[in-house]
Amino acid sequence: MNPEHIVEEAVRLGLKLGADEVAATVTREKQKMLRFSNNSIIVMQSWDHTVPAVYLTSKRRRAAARVGDPGLDALEDVMMTLKGAMDISKPGEVESTLPKGPFKYEAIPNIYDDRIPKMTSELTDVAEEAINAALTEGAKRSSGTLITGEWERFVKTSAGAEGYDRGTSIELSIRAFVDDDASGMGVSCGTRLQDFDPRFAAKEAAKTACQAKNPVFGDEGKFTVVFGPSIMAEFLNRVASFASAYNIDIGLSYLGGKVGQKVASEKLTLLDDSRMPGGMNSCSFDDEGYPTMSTRIIEHGVLKTYLHSSYSVAKYGGQLTGNAFFGGGTWGIAPVPLNVVVEPGEHSVEELFEQIGNGLYLTNNWYTRFQNYQTGDFSSICRDGAFRIKNGKIDQPLRGLRISDNMPRIMQAITALSRERQWIKWWEVTTPAYLPHIAVEDVGITRATK
Amino acid sequence: MEDLVRYTIECASEKGVEYAEARLHVDSASAFTLTDGVPNPVQLSRERGMGVRILVDGAMGFATTNDLSKSSLDGTVEIAYRTAKASRKLIAKPIRLSLQKAEQANWETEARKPLTEVATEEKFRVLEEIEKNLQPDIVKATIPSRTLAIGDDITERYFANTEGARIHGKASRVDLLYLLTVYDPTRGIIQRIGQCGQTGGWEQLEQWDPPRLVSDEAKILGKMLREGKQAPRKELDLVLGPEVTGIICHESCGHPQEADRILGREAAQAGESYLKPEMIDYRVGTEAVNVADDPTIPNSNGFYLYDEEGVKATRRILIKEGVIKEFLHNRETGAELGVGSNGAARAVAYDREPMIRMANTFMLPGSYTDEELIEDVKEGVFIKTFMEWNIDDRRYNQRYVGLEAYLIEKGEATTPVRSPILEITTPGLYGSVDAVGKEIEFEAATCGKGEPSQGAPVWHGGPSIRLRKVRLGG
Repeated sequence: MNPEHIVEEAVRLGLKLGADEVAATVTREKQKMLRFSNNSIIVMQSWDHTVPAVYLTSKRRRAAARVGDPGLDALEDVMMTLKGAMDISKPGEVESTLPKGPFKYEAIPNIYDDRIPKMTSELTDVAEEAINAALTEGAKRSSGTLITGEWERFVKTSAGAEGYDRGTSIELSIRAFVDDDASGMGVSCGTRLQDFDPRFAAKEAAKTACQAKNPVFGDEGKFTVVFGPSIMAEFLNRVASFASAYNIDIGLSYLGGKVGQKVASEKLTLLDDSRMPGGMNSCSFDDEGYPTMSTRIIEHGVLKTYLHSSYSVAKYGGQLTGNAFFGGGTWGIAPVPLNVVVEPGEHSVEELFEQIGNGLYLTNNWYTRFQNYQTGDFSSICRDGAFRIKNGKIDQPLRGLRISDNMPRIMQAITALSRERQWIKWWEVTTPAYLPHIAVEDVGITRATK
Repeated sequence: MEDLVRYTIECASEKGVEYAEARLHVDSASAFTLTDGVPNPVQLSRERGMGVRILVDGAMGFATTNDLSKSSLDGTVEIAYRTAKASRKLIAKPIRLSLQKAEQANWETEARKPLTEVATEEKFRVLEEIEKNLQPDIVKATIPSRTLAIGDDITERYFANTEGARIHGKASRVDLLYLLTVYDPTRGIIQRIGQCGQTGGWEQLEQWDPPRLVSDEAKILGKMLREGKQAPRKELDLVLGPEVTGIICHESCGHPQEADRILGREAAQAGESYLKPEMIDYRVGTEAVNVADDPTIPNSNGFYLYDEEGVKATRRILIKEGVIKEFLHNRETGAELGVGSNGAARAVAYDREPMIRMANTFMLPGSYTDEELIEDVKEGVFIKTFMEWNIDDRRYNQRYVGLEAYLIEKGEATTPVRSPILEITTPGLYGSVDAVGKEIEFEAATCGKGEPSQGAPVWHGGPSIRLRKVRLGG
């Protein structure tokens, strides 16, 4: 079934069923994923999917469906059920209207490389190159994931928006081990092959793993910490998501009611740059057909806006930000960040270490959990290389550390950023982030006591 | 649908593969939500598609499609075959699968009130009834933010492999999710994300009595907020409620005993394990500690009778009297460690590879009542429920922060305490258990693992347990 025809039919059918407004999308995705562990491929996976999705509004009621069955019969059946259920639902608080089109979508440079979809046996070569680079650098074993993707998106709305967009991506995350307690992670990702450097990722992973050999248990207390890009990417993924009006609405954010207030150090400027040339998730329009943009979420520490959909603008005010996508929780279509970007600082990474003098360098984390999303109390486990910084230099490798702190406080306590930035996207960081090393004062560190 | 699965297996067989399997899933789901009493969009999803796994010369390929035309299925088999072959040059040790009986079976969850027959009006009626029961005069607390959701899903699965297995399974599941934010101008904010989930029909939701359940939760949150004192930070005895016992069993017993972690397969994602293949019979805890994982518990959230490799499900005893007894296996790890599969391969959708997962993980009961566990504690804390938790990626260093918790003074639970923090190692924890209660409870959860990520419905649970001389910190 032709995707243009599916979105056309979905809009026609939605209006025929009595909806006031309809937004329909079709996403076609082809992905390959090579996974390896202990220097050996464990599986190569491949996906080929066409997925229509539809969003209806009618008299302050809303409904959404994702139909992983590209046939028109299935779409029609689901839409009839959906409209029936929507009519039974009570009206919502506000009446929202889809953005009025038509829109002109400017093409985003450097997001498609026709060589990437053709790679199959070449994936094995890339994995071998990465594994060998890690071994050469001193690693004993490596595990990781190599992913290639090609996507196409079609949108049509009853408000006159209509668009087509496509892109590619390639990403490698590799974790190198020297022994069970000494590991490091490296990432390389991009939308074109020329932006992709598997050897760089592998060498970074192995270098950190070698530095992390023979760790000792770290101390509890408050430390000035230089966070590597991977760990800050995970934290700032969360902060950017907290800026989604959806998370504010359901109480899963500490940023509610704080537009215009200082929510971070003035050193921090955080964007969702959905139109960044070569950006991993860059695309021309959102699922309501509104053109994407570069949105300054936090500018020099001040919260400038929530990320919005048409519904959240109707409810909270503000301007559309082009962040409305299917799959955003219980709203059906809800605001989500696409490319989390931090403006660079002025220092080299070495200068950050020198500035803090004595403290910690933490390269990676996982398993962040919040006690309370409105206060921001949380903890997260350090993973891979963690080091004591002594007299401005990387010193003793450490193990067993947990960051136990408060996210608003961490954002306020940022003291410096490096000028070098890096793309991060891996299993724990699902929204791609482009960011520097970041130094933070008085970070709470705890560890197991028995 | 069976024809399509059979056709796919025939296509794969013609290529002379070592092994092939085909899984066709037909899934539907719906969700109904109120936030602060206002309906969010009604949500429906429908998915169907085929996943094909092929083993060629010790290399595994997996391909999926949601185009079920025969030409598309031919192409999907070809891609799985070609990707497996492309992997061969970088295989250090060929993948082998354990020998298992080729099962022929048909199974289905029981539902007295099938979910397909429950009207939308009824779902909204229950949500509105919950909402009514959260009014400040009823719960004695202000709840400025309330999100309530009822979800259901039905999955039908057809499985066949080149060894002759043919399995059809159908499961329906219903769940309730509630996110409550309780506020007091002088005492701050406290949050609770609660979940119930079971396989079966609407009768499962009815037996939870959602309006009472959520209202009771809100009352407790209000009490903890108003009356909670600072938790002690010292060495003392702890009694942990079933909810806390359950998350412990899941995180620091179930996960480290997944054989794919132990063999390093998940190293770049969910991590490895503090256990090694040779550590069967390793003592990790006291004789009071017995932990099982069992997919066959009727109406459980993690229920299945045959796994996604066609292996019959069975109860696994993970820890017996404090000693590691069994790992969770699929056919690959069962072959590598020479013990065979114990039916732990799950896939949450047709486009996800089967991988080792828990189902319903719990501590087996002891002989104490909760009162008996508490009355023998001179100074301690009773942590009944938890909020924040996490564990390192070797499943050794873990943390649980209590939500509903009370001081224990001279054998009695007394003053509420806020946010007691237990940060402890796995042997430190299991080695401190001196008594186990006799009443088991289960909690529903969604367990994340794999790449692409797979959120598997599980239960975890157990009775209350008592730990001696552990340090509360934070």
